[in-house]
Amino acid sequence: MISKRVPVSFPARSTQINEVLCHLGPLNSPMLPLFIYGGASTGKTSIILDTFRHLKRPFVYSSCRTCYSPKVLFESILNQLAFHKRVEENGYVSVKKCEKPSDFANFLRESLVNVVDILKEKGAKMNVKKTSAYTWGNMVYLIFDDFELVREWDKSSTILPFLFGLYRMLGLPEVGIIFLSKVSPDSYYSNSGHIEPIPLYFPGYSEKDLREIFMQKQENSERYSIVLKPFFRVTRQVDELSIAFRPVYEKYCQLLNDPGSNFSWETKQKREDAKKRLYSHLAPYIRSSLNEVFEISPLDTEAKADEVKGKASSKKRGAHDEELDFHMSVSAKYLLISAFLASRNPATLDASLFDPTGGLDGRKKRKKCSEKATEQKEMAEQELLLKGPGTFPLERLLAIFQCITSVEDISVDEEVDDDDGAPVVNQVAQYDLTSNVLLQVSSLCNANFISKGSSCPLEGSTRYKSTVSEELAMKVARSLKFPLSRYLFRR
Amino acid sequence: MASFDDNTQFVIGMLRECGLAHKTIIIVLDEFHRFAQGKQRLLYSLLDAMQSVTSQAVVIGISCRLDADQLLEKRVRSRLSHRKLLFCPPSKEELDRLLECLLSLPVSSSLPQSYIVEFNKELRKILADKKFKDTIDTLLSSDSTVDQILRFLFLSVSSMDLKTGILSVENFMTAVVRMNRQPKLECTKDCSILELYILVCMKRLEMREQVSYNFNSIMKEYKAIHDSFQTPDYYARNVCIRAFEHLLQCELISFMDNRRNNQSIEFRPVKLLISPYELHQGLKLNQSCPTILQKLMDQIGKRS
Repeated sequence: MISKRVPVSFPARSTQINEVLCHLGPLNSPMLPLFIYGGASTGKTSIILDTFRHLKRPFVYSSCRTCYSPKVLFESILNQLAFHKRVEENGYVSVKKCEKPSDFANFLRESLVNVVDILKEKGAKMNVKKTSAYTWGNMVYLIFDDFELVREWDKSSTILPFLFGLYRMLGLPEVGIIFLSKVSPDSYYSNSGHIEPIPLYFPGYSEKDLREIFMQKQENSERYSIVLKPFFRVTRQVDELSIAFRPVYEKYCQLLNDPGSNFSWETKQKREDAKKRLYSHLAPYIRSSLNEVFEISPLDTEAKADEVKGKASSKKRGAHDEELDFHMSVSAKYLLISAFLASRNPATLDASLFDPTGGLDGRKKRKKCSEKATEQKEMAEQELLLKGPGTFPLERLLAIFQCITSVEDISVDEEVDDDDGAPVVNQVAQYDLTSNVLLQVSSLCNANFISKGSSCPLEGSTRYKSTVSEELAMKVARSLKFPLSRYLFRR
Repeated sequence: MASFDDNTQFVIGMLRECGLAHKTIIIVLDEFHRFAQGKQRLLYSLLDAMQSVTSQAVVIGISCRLDADQLLEKRVRSRLSHRKLLFCPPSKEELDRLLECLLSLPVSSSLPQSYIVEFNKELRKILADKKFKDTIDTLLSSDSTVDQILRFLFLSVSSMDLKTGILSVENFMTAVVRMNRQPKLECTKDCSILELYILVCMKRLEMREQVSYNFNSIMKEYKAIHDSFQTPDYYARNVCIRAFEHLLQCELISFMDNRRNNQSIEFRPVKLLISPYELHQGLKLNQSCPTILQKLMDQIGKRS
C-alpha cells in the first residue's frame, strides 16, 4: 500500500511522489512508459530509486551517463536481468555481446520473459506460505537515467525511436519503462517520429521549499533564513547552494558560539536586534561568496594556513586571488604568455614590439581622438567581444617565445624566502627550442590553454588560438615577473 | 552469419516451396519508410521474387508517412501494385464510442456485479456531461490519434480514488491539465533572478536587431542595465557564466551553430528559444521576479 514514509525524506515533493505512485499503481498493474523531466538536483533519480526500494519492486537501473554508448547500455541491462556481475573472476565479460538494437530487442525479450517467470514462481510459492508481509508481484521495471545524453550519441536518430518504442515492441504487460531526463520531451522530437511516453514534470524548488530542505538538519530554523535570500537570487539548484552555504554557515556558527557576544532570543525586539547584529557581521562574507562560483575549497590547505601563520593568514587569503593556484613549468608559462600575446596582438605589430634593438616606442605620437577614431575604436572593441581571440600559426608562437625569453633579464629575487630563510635566486636561462619545449605546446593544447583551430585556407598549416582570459595571463606573467602590459596592444 | 544473398536465396526457395504446397504467405513490413532508405535491396529482391516465383504471397507495408510510396526507386515502384489504404484518426462519433468501449467494465468480468453496474452508470453520466465533452473536444482537437486518447485515459484512470473505485470528472480534469503542458513556461518559472536578467538582456539585444550576439555582448548589456537603473543584482562574470550554462541546459537558449568549433562558451553566438510572449508570461508567473525586469519587458513589448 502507498505509505507516508517516502514524502518525509523529500520535503516539498509530495505532489510529485503522489503522481509517481498513482502512475505505478498497486501491485501488478501494467503501466504506459513514464517520462520524468526536471532541472538538475530536483530529486528525480533519488525519488524514483527510493520509491522502488520502499515498494520493494524489482527494477533495472541504468544511467546513460555511465553507459556511454548503445553497446554498454544494452549489455548493462542484460547483465542486470541475468543477475550477472562483471568481476575479475570472469574477466569483466558481459553475459552476452550485444551491439545492435535488433539483437538487443531479442535478448531483452528473452531475459524479461525469464525474469517474469522466476518472479511468478517465487510469488506463487511465497504467497502460499504467507511467511513474509511482503507480497511478490510479477512486474519488472526498466529505468533509464540521464536520458538527454542519448541525443548526443552517434546513432541517436535510430536509438531514440527504438528506446521510446521499446514498450510497444516488447508487448509484455509485466514490464514498466521509466525515462529520467533533464530536458523536456519536446527536444526529443525528430523527423522520424516516435511513440510519446507520458510526461511528468518535477519543478524546481521555491524559496520556502529550499529553506525546508536546508533546515531539515538544523534546529532554530528562523535564525538561518537570512542567509538564504541573497543566494537564492543567483541560483536555485540545491547542489550549488549547499556548497556555497558551508563556509558561510561556519562563520555564522562562529559568531553564535562566541562566548563574548550575548544573544538573547526572549523578546521579539531582542530577536530583531540579534538578527541585525548577525547579519551585519555576516554581510561582507555573503557579499564576497556570492561572487564566487560555488567551488569546493580544499579544506586542508586553509587549515594549514591558519595553523602556521596566525596573523598573516587573513592577508594570505586576500593575496590568494592574485596568485596562480596551479603549478606550471617556467617554459610552459612563457609559452602561455606568448600564445596570449599572439592571439591578442595583430601580426603586424610583432616587429615593433619585439625588436631587440628598440623595444617598444612605436607609439611616440598620440593622435587627437577625432570622432571617427572613437567610432572605429568602439567598432574594434565590439569586434573583439564578438569574434574572440585571433588565430596564429605555430611559427609565430615560437618566434615570440624566443624573443621574450632572450630579452628577459636575470634578476635575483630577495623577497622570496624559503623555510631556511636563505634568499632564493630566480634564474632564467636562455631557452633553446629543444624538443622538451615543443612538447610543452602539445600539453598546453591538451590542457585547453591553446586550442587548435581549423587550418588556414591559403597556407594549409594549422592555426592555434589562445583561450586564456586576461586575468590568468596577468597572473602567470606576475609569477614570472614579466611586464605583460608593456607588450599588449591597447586600441 | 549468412550474407544478404544467401538469405535472399533462402527466401525465394521457401516461397517456391510454399507455392507448390499451396500455402499463402503474408509478409508485413512495419515502418515501411525505413526500408525505403538507402539502396532498397530488400524491397527489390522481395518484390522481384513476388513476380517471378509462382507463389501465393502478398507484401503489406505499413507506414506513418503518406508519401512512403514516393520514396521508392523506379524499379521497385514498378513492381508495386499501387493500392493504398488510408487509416484516419477516429471521427467524433467514433471517439465517443471508443471512450465508452475502453472505459466501461465488461459485464462478464470476475468483479462483483453490483460494483460493475455502479461503475458503468457513473461512467455514462460523466461521458454525457457537457463540460466533459467540451474539455475532451479541446484536448483532442490538437491531436486526436488513438495514442493520445490512450495516454489521456491512462492518466485519468491512474488518478482514480482507490477507496471508492469509481471514476469521477475530477480524474479526467487532472489528466487534461497534465496533458496540456507548457514546457518553456515551466522552465522560466524555475529560473533564478540572474537567469531572468540574462534572458531579458538577450531579448533587448534582439530588439535592437543585432543579428548575432554572444555571452560577452550579453554581459555588456547587463552592465548597461545595471549602470542606468542601479539594480542590486550585479554579479561577477563567472557566476553569470554559471547561470548562462543553466539556461543552455534547460534549453531556453542555444548556440546558433552546433559545430563546436573549439571556441569557448563566451564567444559562440547564441539565440533565444523562447518567444517574447512566453518570456513575458514567464516573468509574470515567476514569484521572485524583480519589478525592474517586468518594466524592461513592457518597454520591449511596446517597441515591437
